[in-house]
Amino acid sequence: MAAFLTVHRLSKRFGEVPVLAGVSLDVEEGEVVVLLGPSGSGKTTLLRLVAGFETPDAGDIRVEGEEVTRLPPAKRNFGMVFQHYALFPHLTVAENVAFGLEARRVKRTEIAERVAEVLPLVDLAGFGERRAHQLSGGQQQRVALARALAPRPRLLLLDEPLSNLDPTLRERTRRQLRSTLGRVGITALWVTHEQAEAFDVGDRVALLEGGRLQQTGPPEELYLEPANPFVAGFVGRASTLEGFYVPATPGDGEVRIGDDRYLGHGVRWPALPAVPLQPDEPVLCVLRPEALELREVTDDTLAGEVAERRYAGETTLYRVRLVAGGELLVAGGPETARAGDKVGVGRRAAGPPPRLFPRPAEAK
Amino acid sequence: MKRAAALLLALVLAWLVGYPLLITLLEALGWPRAWSLAKFVEFAERGDEWLALWRSLWISAASAVLAAAVGVPLGFLFQRAEFPGRRLLGALIALPVALPPLVGVIAFLFLYGESGFAARGLQALLGLERAPWRLGGPAAILLVHAYSMYVYFYLFTRAGLARLEASLEEAAASLGAGRWRTLRRVTLPLLGPALGAAALLAFMTSLASFSAPYLFGGSFRVMTTQIVASKLNGEIAMAQVETVALALLAFAGLVALRRWGPGRATVSGGVRGVAPPGRALRRPLARVAAAAAGWGLALLLLLPHLTLLVLSFVPPGTWTVETVPPVLDLGNYRRLLPLGEGSLAGLPERLRPIVNSLWMAAAATAGAVVLGVTAARLATRLKGRLGGLLEGLLAVPWAVPGTVFAISLATAFSVHDPLAGRLVLVGTPWLLPLAYLVRSLPLTGRSALAGMRQLDPAMEEAAASLGAGRWLTLRRVTLPLLRPAVMAGASLAFITALGDFVTSIVLYTFDTRPISIEILSSLRLQETGVAAVYGVLLTVLSAAAFLRWGREEGVRA
Repeated sequence: MAAFLTVHRLSKRFGEVPVLAGVSLDVEEGEVVVLLGPSGSGKTTLLRLVAGFETPDAGDIRVEGEEVTRLPPAKRNFGMVFQHYALFPHLTVAENVAFGLEARRVKRTEIAERVAEVLPLVDLAGFGERRAHQLSGGQQQRVALARALAPRPRLLLLDEPLSNLDPTLRERTRRQLRSTLGRVGITALWVTHEQAEAFDVGDRVALLEGGRLQQTGPPEELYLEPANPFVAGFVGRASTLEGFYVPATPGDGEVRIGDDRYLGHGVRWPALPAVPLQPDEPVLCVLRPEALELREVTDDTLAGEVAERRYAGETTLYRVRLVAGGELLVAGGPETARAGDKVGVGRRAAGPPPRLFPRPAEAK
Repeated sequence: MKRAAALLLALVLAWLVGYPLLITLLEALGWPRAWSLAKFVEFAERGDEWLALWRSLWISAASAVLAAAVGVPLGFLFQRAEFPGRRLLGALIALPVALPPLVGVIAFLFLYGESGFAARGLQALLGLERAPWRLGGPAAILLVHAYSMYVYFYLFTRAGLARLEASLEEAAASLGAGRWRTLRRVTLPLLGPALGAAALLAFMTSLASFSAPYLFGGSFRVMTTQIVASKLNGEIAMAQVETVALALLAFAGLVALRRWGPGRATVSGGVRGVAPPGRALRRPLARVAAAAAGWGLALLLLLPHLTLLVLSFVPPGTWTVETVPPVLDLGNYRRLLPLGEGSLAGLPERLRPIVNSLWMAAAATAGAVVLGVTAARLATRLKGRLGGLLEGLLAVPWAVPGTVFAISLATAFSVHDPLAGRLVLVGTPWLLPLAYLVRSLPLTGRSALAGMRQLDPAMEEAAASLGAGRWLTLRRVTLPLLRPAVMAGASLAFITALGDFVTSIVLYTFDTRPISIEILSSLRLQETGVAAVYGVLLTVLSAAAFLRWGREEGVRA
């Protein structure tokens, strides 16, 4: 049984610049998949290809088994929430919401019913006669959602739906928007460049970079088992050290960082290889701040000096310059250390294990 | 499909806009009989031609300077100072931009002419034998130009000041610059592009100006009056050569001002922010002074039109030597609209010019809107050369003086040769509306282009994503959103055509005589009151159209 939405090896160039290079993605019915990536990664292009505003150079798009790759957007029966909402300024809220129903030649009485049904869904009952410019940003965003949902599309596309809101408003609107999607039970593709938003709303997250899909999976998977150093660095905070792989039991292992013959100059820590590795293969070791802690210098720590203390509310981050070379970000309490303190960085047993990636040739 | 449509449209526009100019150039060069530069040589050997060229040039430059001297301070006063009545007066003094030049000229004549209110008042005051002055020659032309073209500087100054970020002037003040230094080093340089655009507009308008030189110039001929004089004397070939010369002068002026003019710098680097509010003047004396200046200037500038209104109530032959007219009644209006006197018997002859002007202006505007919007849409959709060509064709009539177009259209459409795209339209009712249409294209086209450019592409995408097809999107989303811009352009086009004098005087027939021609003949017949009534009607119609639809985009187009 094929997925509800299938994107198969989609490619797109603008002039000479490849924007998408063979992206494939499956979305199950009722699932909310977030397309995450830095600007220029191709996530918006992917969304616009699915919407039908652009035509791919290669690859195809299927919904419920039907190929829609070259179907005009008006015939796809998808809904879209635009980044700047694109509410029609010359129409009222109700007329905006009714627009898609009119386009589908729904009967007038039924249109009125449906509009009256959808507006309360987004908490805008009684706002039907207002115009877009009379609403706050959050309200406009909800009108945009109501307008997209009113024709009961089979797929909802959201292009950075929260980027136009105040940061203070963003988190609350995010929850509301996500719960509305859940209540409607609609399949959705949601584009954002914010990792916190992606993790909060996505059943699964598809991380794009350079026009390629780097990893697709539930948020925990991206965070705990990043497929490559880019994913590790983009999703949450992480530091990277160079080291060598030391095999242990199959599929498991350790990493050797620095020279562990001298106190504080090197360690051997348990680590998870992202791909099968050769013994003594040079690796990049990605460590999360919460997997590390500051201690006295011992055998099992990397010695260094606190270069900077960054207070961040619930946790405080310490940037430690290691004697063995390199830097680590370490989480701690607000008063664990001060800048200039000599410290040892140790492993916290409960934290996510360091993850190992083969070192690219030029880094060896 | 889209390219084919664009190509076809480019062809139509080229036929309307470029072809008549080309034919005129060719005929001036002797075509189709024998190529010859004889007429150009004759032109070059005649001193009066050079004189007319030179006068056109310096009159235009001087007009721009004078208009700036009036308009810029006025703009500052109305944008920066807060006084009672500011908003109303501010809108009123922008009105002359929407009024037909001929109306301004006769209003000026009635107020400041030798038998106008001002002269009579002074005469009575000083007990003079005769009128203290004669309004004529270059001084009169310059006065009228400054009086009608200050609006460009006024509007552009206000718009520029409104866009100016308050923090820039505050920064200058915080760096220790006094008010004068801030004005000279910060504010005025930032206004540069806006003032440059106003100067260009004033210069080009003066170069094309016909009404003022025609009525006040007498033997002081500029190029436009020279051309019409040659045409009326039957020297068609010379008129064509002069037309070519004026067209070249206009293009040269355009290029020169674009290149070296103050408008070269780009608008203050995308600075966004809060414009300084109207300053509530704290000292009572300053407030009174600002209010007095505002009211005084506004009254002075609107006085000619008030004069026009008063004169329209003066019955013929009743005002002879008195300082103020002794009798005022509605007689002149009654003569136009013979109410109650069996008016169903047919169109009263006096009403004919009004009906003519209305239908010709409406038809021309409708045509110009359709062509302008279609061309603008195709031009924005098609990037590249074809789009650029469409945009260029839309803009050409703006740079070409009305007289030039009139002579060119008369030349191109006086021969029956359908294969060469030429028909005999001279002497038919169709030539004048066609001329209005061509002259309106830049107004409707530019405003449609501006509207298109402001249109968020996401709007049309949103409609498509909601299932709307191309036609529904156009009807329900694109056109309604373009409406304000299109209406602004259309109302300006309508106003321009309604009051047109410069092309009409070359192309009208007795049956299609428009209001402006009727004003002229009323003046010739000494029927001042009737001329004033026509002037008032033109003013009212134009002002209504301008205030209703034209204000938003009017400045830009």
